[in-house]
Amino acid sequence: MKINSRNLVMSAMFGGRRGPRPAAGNPTSIACHGLMDKVGVSFPEAHLNANAMAELALAGHEVVGFDTVMPEYSVVQEAAALGARVDWGDRDKMPDVKEFPNADFSDIQIPADVLEKPSCRVVLDAIAILRRHVGGRAAIIGKVMGPWTMSYHMAGTQNFLLAVGMGEGAKVSRMLRQLMPVTVAFINAQFQAGADIVVLADHATRNLVGPYHYEQHLLPIHQEITAQVGGPIILHVCGNCSDRLELFARSGVDAYHFEWQVDSREAVRRIGNQVSLAGNVNNPQALLQGTPEDVYKQARYAIEAGVHLIGPECAIPLSTPLENLRAIVAAVREGY
Amino acid sequence: MADHLNTIKDAVIGGKHAEIKELVQKALDGGLDPGGIINDALIAAMDVVGKDFGSGKIFVPEMLVAAMTMKAGLEIVKPRLAGGASQPRGTIIMATVKGDLHDIGKNLVTMMLEGAGFKVFDLGVDLGVDKLIEQVKALNPDILGLSALLTTTMSEMQKVIGELRAQGLRDRIKVLVGGAPVDQVFADKIGADGYGANAADAVELARRFTGTHA
Repeated sequence: MKINSRNLVMSAMFGGRRGPRPAAGNPTSIACHGLMDKVGVSFPEAHLNANAMAELALAGHEVVGFDTVMPEYSVVQEAAALGARVDWGDRDKMPDVKEFPNADFSDIQIPADVLEKPSCRVVLDAIAILRRHVGGRAAIIGKVMGPWTMSYHMAGTQNFLLAVGMGEGAKVSRMLRQLMPVTVAFINAQFQAGADIVVLADHATRNLVGPYHYEQHLLPIHQEITAQVGGPIILHVCGNCSDRLELFARSGVDAYHFEWQVDSREAVRRIGNQVSLAGNVNNPQALLQGTPEDVYKQARYAIEAGVHLIGPECAIPLSTPLENLRAIVAAVREGY
Repeated sequence: MADHLNTIKDAVIGGKHAEIKELVQKALDGGLDPGGIINDALIAAMDVVGKDFGSGKIFVPEMLVAAMTMKAGLEIVKPRLAGGASQPRGTIIMATVKGDLHDIGKNLVTMMLEGAGFKVFDLGVDLGVDKLIEQVKALNPDILGLSALLTTTMSEMQKVIGELRAQGLRDRIKVLVGGAPVDQVFADKIGADGYGANAADAVELARRFTGTHA
């Protein structure tokens, strides 16, 4: 295997040849003030302008040394394209949905040109730009929200979970199934634009729902999504999901991106032979408030546990110090 | 009598929202003490729900339905209490801090606190320091509960505590913090009085702070 960033990441995705060192990767955002300052790009511009989006993603590879580039920083690009009112935030604040258009569980009207809406188009254009710049050298990672997360945005999280709790399965299923084609289409479009891998982010996290909810409502849908898409998928579900690792492994994804709350040795032991594992350096304590040494130790722990792709557990806080991000790269460059 | 109370308690735990009003009405018609229905059935049920949530036996969907069921039952009982209203265990302001629009955790804590007999003023989301201080002065609560989901907004909690101190209000109020990125270490660091890992913890702390342990 030729040793470059892309090949190390792709090999890690399938548990292949290890090469001289593990790969450092970010399935979710590593945008932070330090990187914004380095390239002169900020939020909300980097959510809405393809060149700015791509430039900030490139900085993760060129300035910090990650083996991946991942240009989607928000979780609301799809919701905005579907008509939800979005506050795009600012340099210190991530975007969020302000009003939920389908709080009454009315049918979701999916525009025929949903992927041409500016908030989706920008991601596809940014991926194409990255392909031209680093294609074949760094692994280009796209990101798409799954139907569960989109339901939070379209119906409101509490409203959606209340329907789940009331046992209104038909209502819940209808919304998920109406949204599923958006997820599939956006994933496939990102592959066509030049993504090597796409992250399926679907927040059926233990902080909100149980493994039985995932198994009943979402696992069959994830299995359908993974059957219909044309490339490697990393599932991202944050929170402590120790109680549902095996269910995730059955979803048909190629890798699972997980948090520090799930012990990496435990995760590798339980599902490491079925899917690759990505993560799981702690954000609030290590990357945000800790020292480079704290981060380095956690990254080394993950490497020694057998985690395939080493990186932050989730989108990093915007004020994360750059030297803490660099400590992840230092840990992987030390080799196995 | 105990049967009636247990039936109501089980209905709340099981989230039987369609049946609760009738069950409570029957208990009242049968001569049960309204205060007993609240304390021994409705509040007792939410204690069980809180513990089940804390131990991972149930999750937010079930908790939302149980809280909704408890509230529906409470609405039937309240008008029958002597004087028309019960004496709250204490007064609490709840809010999600500035820059943060996430409210599900705060809402759950609010519901649980109401279920446990506290008077709660839910100020909503994205609450700046000035607005919070103004409300603390106006409502004079026993406890201020602050929630944040984002690592980017949790630092707002420290600003609120700093301003309470600056305005000489800190000693007359307990500050309770919670939310996904918050932990005991952070709570201690910013000088909060308590950290609740979940809604049940928050109720336990509120009881401790107000000296109203069941």
